[in-house]
Amino acid sequence: MSISLIIITYSLIFLFSFSLALFVYLILRRVVIQHQEALFEERYQKIETEVLELITSPQKNLALEIAKRYKSYPQVLTKVLFDYIEQIKGEAKEHLKKIFDHALKEKCLKDIYSRRLVRRLKTTHLFVVFSDSSEAPHIFKLLNDKPIVKLVAINALSRIPSSRTLSLIFQAFENDSVSTARTYINIMYGLGDRIEAQVRKHLKMPLSEEKLVLLIELIGAIPLRSLYQDILLFADHHEKEIRIKVARALGHMRIPSSLDILFRLADDDAWEVSAQAMKSLGKLGDVQAKEVLSEGMFSPFWHVRFNAGHGLAKLGETGFKHLQKVKKQKKDRYASEMANMVLNETIYSGGA
Amino acid sequence: MTGIIDSIFQIITGIILVYFFLINSLYLVLVILSIFGIVQYRNMNTYVSFKEIFQMPLVKPISIIAPAYNEEMGIIESVKSLLSLEYPFYEVIVVNDGSTDHTLENLIKTFDLKKSSRVFRRVIETKPIKGIYVSPSNPKLVVVDKVNGKKADALNAGLNVSRYPLFCGIDSDSILEKDALLKMARPFLEAPEKTVGAGGIIRLSNGCQVKFGQVIKVGLPRNALARFQILEYLRAFLGGRIGLSMLKSILIISGAFGLFRKDIALQCGGYRTGTIGEDMDLVVRMRKYLHEKKIPFVFRFIPDPICWTEAPETLQTLARQRNRWHRGLIESLSHSAKMTFNPRYGITGLFAMPFYVIFEMFGPLIEVTGYIIFTVYVLLGDFNQPFAIWFFLLAVVFGILLSLLAILLEEYSARRYPRLKDIITIVIFGLLENVLYRQYLAVIRAMAFLDIAKGKKGWGKMERKGFSLEGQK
Repeated sequence: MSISLIIITYSLIFLFSFSLALFVYLILRRVVIQHQEALFEERYQKIETEVLELITSPQKNLALEIAKRYKSYPQVLTKVLFDYIEQIKGEAKEHLKKIFDHALKEKCLKDIYSRRLVRRLKTTHLFVVFSDSSEAPHIFKLLNDKPIVKLVAINALSRIPSSRTLSLIFQAFENDSVSTARTYINIMYGLGDRIEAQVRKHLKMPLSEEKLVLLIELIGAIPLRSLYQDILLFADHHEKEIRIKVARALGHMRIPSSLDILFRLADDDAWEVSAQAMKSLGKLGDVQAKEVLSEGMFSPFWHVRFNAGHGLAKLGETGFKHLQKVKKQKKDRYASEMANMVLNETIYSGGA
Repeated sequence: MTGIIDSIFQIITGIILVYFFLINSLYLVLVILSIFGIVQYRNMNTYVSFKEIFQMPLVKPISIIAPAYNEEMGIIESVKSLLSLEYPFYEVIVVNDGSTDHTLENLIKTFDLKKSSRVFRRVIETKPIKGIYVSPSNPKLVVVDKVNGKKADALNAGLNVSRYPLFCGIDSDSILEKDALLKMARPFLEAPEKTVGAGGIIRLSNGCQVKFGQVIKVGLPRNALARFQILEYLRAFLGGRIGLSMLKSILIISGAFGLFRKDIALQCGGYRTGTIGEDMDLVVRMRKYLHEKKIPFVFRFIPDPICWTEAPETLQTLARQRNRWHRGLIESLSHSAKMTFNPRYGITGLFAMPFYVIFEMFGPLIEVTGYIIFTVYVLLGDFNQPFAIWFFLLAVVFGILLSLLAILLEEYSARRYPRLKDIITIVIFGLLENVLYRQYLAVIRAMAFLDIAKGKKGWGKMERKGFSLEGQK
């Protein structure tokens, strides 16, 4: 037998054995999973029935009984609690928390310091839903963990709205890299106007431009009207992106006195800023904007014309008259076509 | 003279053996990387609720562009499926690319479309647009009717008409799962500055039951050809592309389901017309552009947003499809040939391009050469019989191992085939594909070189059965 044949034979035996083992593993795995799923489903239904009973007609000690009875099935119990905690509000939520406290909390407190990342993540995620101020010290420790755990921990902290947790969230936002900043913004968004003081403080800090852009976007998205004066300071910022976000935030805020600033931004050298200002002017719905918006219809930039057209449509009758005028003129074909399209679209959607 | 020919044959045989070893080792590495990728994705996924993404105010709106040419059989189901997706803000742009059947009429009738005076930016030159239709009852839907200019031209027309910063090119004969866009958009939310494109998994709808524009029951088709393709798709998407994505070397995001940043696509001139592999071509040119401009980027491949599509069930249609795909691959790689082995293009130039050129492009040619040499040896009676047989068995077992690993990936990721019987059937077809099916495809793909040399450009006719009838027999 030649060497090459020996190598091939051994390779073949190895590959064949490995493939066979893999096939057996696949089949066994599937059988086991199907069995486990059936068991899980059975237990889930049992727990679900009792939890529903608890929610609809709360009896004394029922929560404790459920916790005691199903403590040995933490995965199924966690799933039931997760599925219902998001759907319900008020007193019923307290019952579910009671089950968590008595059946799962102890395990969670142990797992939160587990060496395994997945386990720590899972536990932290549980805290996102069931956390209260007494758990905060445990979660603070996770702020030094890996980025993914840290973010989940911050998400959990956002459900404990104290001045300390808010300050910790913003501190993490300030120190973390720009790549995760957007995730912080999503967490902050959920906190609503409670973050106002922290945002004001951070607007005055030397943040990177990317983070500043996100903060201004956040102000508009919530919107935090009390920070109106603070963002006006950025209306002349040298960075185009920041001016765009200011224009957008002003549109969301709908503060009548922002009209002049928006006029100025509509005249910006960068067409992106101008287009956003046109959109915001439309949102403001003040008929004083009709001239600026009509001028916008003749911009060489498509987006500016588009937003100006839709802005005019939002002004109601006055805007429609201007759109008709632009449609009828013959000097600028592009403006006329845009006006025609906006008029047709608005009639279709009934937006006027 | 015979001695010289014999030496040449021996050298070629040696090259083929080395090639066999390299290609299989690389595929094995890719599958192993895919296992890590999928496990990592699955673990992280458990802790991020898609509902939360749905509620976020900062998600970017998406324009779905679906070019349609003679798709009267399946277009309505596909559009219904697209209109029922879960995503906060999106529009569906169906581009009727000069269909000669009732595609447009069916759309107008079903969705009560009205001609609109919509204006748009003609950023990319396309064949003339005859009309834009909107639906008062479905404001998300826009239908563009244009003169036939082939798929790339239709996609460009859709890009011109689209209004949102991200666009998703899909085939109009495909069905997206309800949460597919949410899952695809996640990388754009996590790293919005860097993520330029994302691809999802394509699965075969043959044998599945489709209702209200959604796959409601997954099953295996009765047609043997379609069964072979199920395994092929699992290997290609779960085994290959996820692994390549882990190596930051993905060059193909399927035209049937890919999400991209519109600004970058427009800066690259959109889809290149005149090519038949427009999906790969766009990704390659985008990578080239981003490297040249030194813009940091990432293309991601995500294992669970699923798009269902119909596979050919006749040899003729399958041959046309594979030949076209391979011609597309050759065209795209040749068009950007200067990137290959060029350090200026980073990992794209040093790994992705060489990998695709050596193993994907020339793979079938080398495989067919191997079959020819083997046949010549057999005819001459001059071959090492035990070696040939053992080597063939080795190739078969290696192929089966890769298939089993792909099934393992399927089990780890989506586990869409509910019955154990389905898994066993797929494995059996993994075994059977080594006899004739694999060789047939290699020949068809190798013929693409010949067709390119002859200047063949066409797509060839695709026969569609339509979704509604599938899986309900």
